[in-house]
Amino acid sequence: MEVSAESSLVPQHQSPHQSNPPTMPVSSEPNSSPFVSQVRKMLFRRMLVGVNDGRFFVGAFHCIDKQGNVILQDAVEYRSTHRSLPSPMEQRCLGLILIPASCRSSCHVDCSLEEQLSLLSLKK
Amino acid sequence: MEREDADGRFLALPHPPPPGEQTVWADVSPLLNAACNDLQDGELIHGENFSLFAAMSALEIMDPKMDSGMENRGYRSVEEAIENGAAPIPLSSDGTTDVQCSIDVMDHLLACEATWHKGHSLAQTVFSCIYLLRLERTSSHALLHSYCRIIRTTCNAVISVVSDARTHEEEDLFTMAYGLPLKGEGDEKCLSMLHAVEETLSRQLRACKAPSSKKKVFEDIDPLQTNTDLEEGYCKALLCRIRFRKHFYHALVCMRKPQGRGLELARKHLALCQSELACVSRSVEFLRSNAYGSCLDDVEDSTTASGCKPVGFDVSLNSRLSAPTPPRSIRLLSWKKAIEYFEKLLHDLDVICSFSLDPLLESVLHFVVQFQKSQPDLVARSHLQLLLVQEGKLYGRDPFYDVISRAIALPDVIRNQELEKNEFVVQLGQLVINLLKILCTNASWQRRKLGKILQDWSVTSIQLDLALKREFGEIPNISADENICLKLSRLLLIWAEEQTYWIASRFLMLGFDLELYSSSEYCMVYWYLYVVFIKLLEKVQLRIAGSTDTTKRKGKKKKDQNDVIRDARISPSILFIQCYLLLSEGLAMMLAALKAQHTVFQRPSVFNSEQERFLQHFELLQKAHVPDRISYLLFKESTLRANITTVMKYNYFGDAQRISKELRRSFSGDPDKLCELRQIEQVAEYNQIALNVIHQAGAHDSSLKVSLEFRHHPCFAVVTVKRN
Repeated sequence: MEVSAESSLVPQHQSPHQSNPPTMPVSSEPNSSPFVSQVRKMLFRRMLVGVNDGRFFVGAFHCIDKQGNVILQDAVEYRSTHRSLPSPMEQRCLGLILIPASCRSSCHVDCSLEEQLSLLSLKK
Repeated sequence: MEREDADGRFLALPHPPPPGEQTVWADVSPLLNAACNDLQDGELIHGENFSLFAAMSALEIMDPKMDSGMENRGYRSVEEAIENGAAPIPLSSDGTTDVQCSIDVMDHLLACEATWHKGHSLAQTVFSCIYLLRLERTSSHALLHSYCRIIRTTCNAVISVVSDARTHEEEDLFTMAYGLPLKGEGDEKCLSMLHAVEETLSRQLRACKAPSSKKKVFEDIDPLQTNTDLEEGYCKALLCRIRFRKHFYHALVCMRKPQGRGLELARKHLALCQSELACVSRSVEFLRSNAYGSCLDDVEDSTTASGCKPVGFDVSLNSRLSAPTPPRSIRLLSWKKAIEYFEKLLHDLDVICSFSLDPLLESVLHFVVQFQKSQPDLVARSHLQLLLVQEGKLYGRDPFYDVISRAIALPDVIRNQELEKNEFVVQLGQLVINLLKILCTNASWQRRKLGKILQDWSVTSIQLDLALKREFGEIPNISADENICLKLSRLLLIWAEEQTYWIASRFLMLGFDLELYSSSEYCMVYWYLYVVFIKLLEKVQLRIAGSTDTTKRKGKKKKDQNDVIRDARISPSILFIQCYLLLSEGLAMMLAALKAQHTVFQRPSVFNSEQERFLQHFELLQKAHVPDRISYLLFKESTLRANITTVMKYNYFGDAQRISKELRRSFSGDPDKLCELRQIEQVAEYNQIALNVIHQAGAHDSSLKVSLEFRHHPCFAVVTVKRN
């Protein structure tokens, strides 16, 4: 199986659920999908990503690949200090981080109310 | 619906990271999924500033090798650990168990401290102690509180030594203490707290040892714990631990006193420290036989004397603070190994404290080289460096222009006359400071740096030489006596060149300690050493001749110039270099002959030629022209015709042996030098024997098996011959 190094943010063996192996971008033309252009508009915006172990990361949306792996810039980690809720949050700066799709449990973007409504309409 | 869903998720979070003003967090997971579906294979959504190369360095969340914040099964915070009883105070409701547990905490902290000194992060070692992380909690427990406080203060003292010395470029994990509660109010009172605890303990010890008739005197003293049979043992075990900490801290503080004024007192504390440490070591039997509960089977690996696992430690609590290093599990030194480490540290510190603070640079260099032979660790090396160079002066006392003028044995007439402002003296002073600092670093770093500064030294020498020629070159027949400036420049030049060759010889010899040479390369290394020693010898001779010339001129005006040179030739330091020179030359020639005649040590490398390896090994020396006009071709030429018969004829080893024997008298009061002389003698003797055997067997006897061993000297090999 030939896997291009440039094609995926996470090495292939880490996302076994992915059926078809990615290859190099085929065309240089911009993707015409409305979803893709919508996501492209979200680049550089503040994104809040939750992961499986309960932590949250807030950072500038930097990149996403076909597998759904997300890169955030200037990310801050939020983590509750106690197992039992509610508890105060602890935070620390991490910089550039890659969140593999397999452990992403939620994903939100900082936006105005009107924008949120248009996002909702997409999901119908 | 979606919104509620999103809100519902946030309800589980007490304080979600807030969105911006007038904005909300909108769930985009479905949108992302849809967009990903529409992406082509390998296509990415990214902005213009995206670089795949930079993206590769992103920290991968949930990767156990990179993500130090990953959820583990342990506690999420120090507070949670404390609430769950991970670090109880008192450590047990039972008085005896409380004392036992406290001793375990102290022992484990010692193991942590030693592990930290050996190069692991503070967060993962000493500060894995929950009691230390929340020191104020322990205030009700005088024993634990005072011990933890002195540990923290000691850590601070050690960090400041190491970071002030800045000799730790490759050991920089040592001083990293982000986010750790390293300093707190009241730390300056730690010694008085410790003292109070020590007083109480010694009274308790006296009380339990007192004969029954005198018991009344001690009636008002509460015992340490509940079991009277064990009272004495526990009092003693605690006392030596507390006293060890006290004297160790005192010693560190004394060693930092300016101009080495505290060294004498430091030695006293170090001696007390050593005897207390011996007591700590001896307490193992008592503690082990009375250990509570279940103990580790393998007591050798245990981090406590009792063999029990201590309470109040959790390495995972701090793993998030160990950034920027990736989280990794470390193995703590055992308690036994920690005691051994501290024994060595105390010894090394004592060696530093017993140094006479000799103002002669030659003695300082010799002392540092000798000190490094025992491979001292970072803390001891940092102390040495801070002692040597303080406020830009040797020992904070002697300005370096003074040190240099003493080194070149400048007559008083010239001394102080503008010497301080002479640009070359200033420059050389700076080079000497750098040299001293580098000599205090670990062997591998040291070698690399020595190689680099060679260039600085040789540039300064060249500048001096040019200045000499420019200023005095045109005046014919100028008498050196009459021109003070000329004299000074000449002496400086000779001295700077001497130092350069000394550094080069250190550089080459350190390669043996670091095992950088292979047996097929020894020939060229010894040859290069030989060349360097020749130049070194020449410069030392010139310097000594020059200085005796000036010092003796006054008294014996008619002293013959030849006498002066003869005096210089028989000076012990010159004869010493002569020994090294003979050994290097002898070994180089003997190995070359063996290579040619016996086809040993001839393994051709598949990777590179001999010439390439010559360049790789001596690149830094060649760049600095140390010595000038030395090349691979010259090496080949001078070793080409080497054969056993000529090596026998020149009698290198016999001469080396004879000189080193003669030298013994000159160094009768110096055990280090005597030891070195004995080693030289042995190397010479064994090589002479091997040479004889090979010579008698004839040039092409294939039944002889020749090998090299470093049994007698770390740098000079002994050739051993066996018959198949």
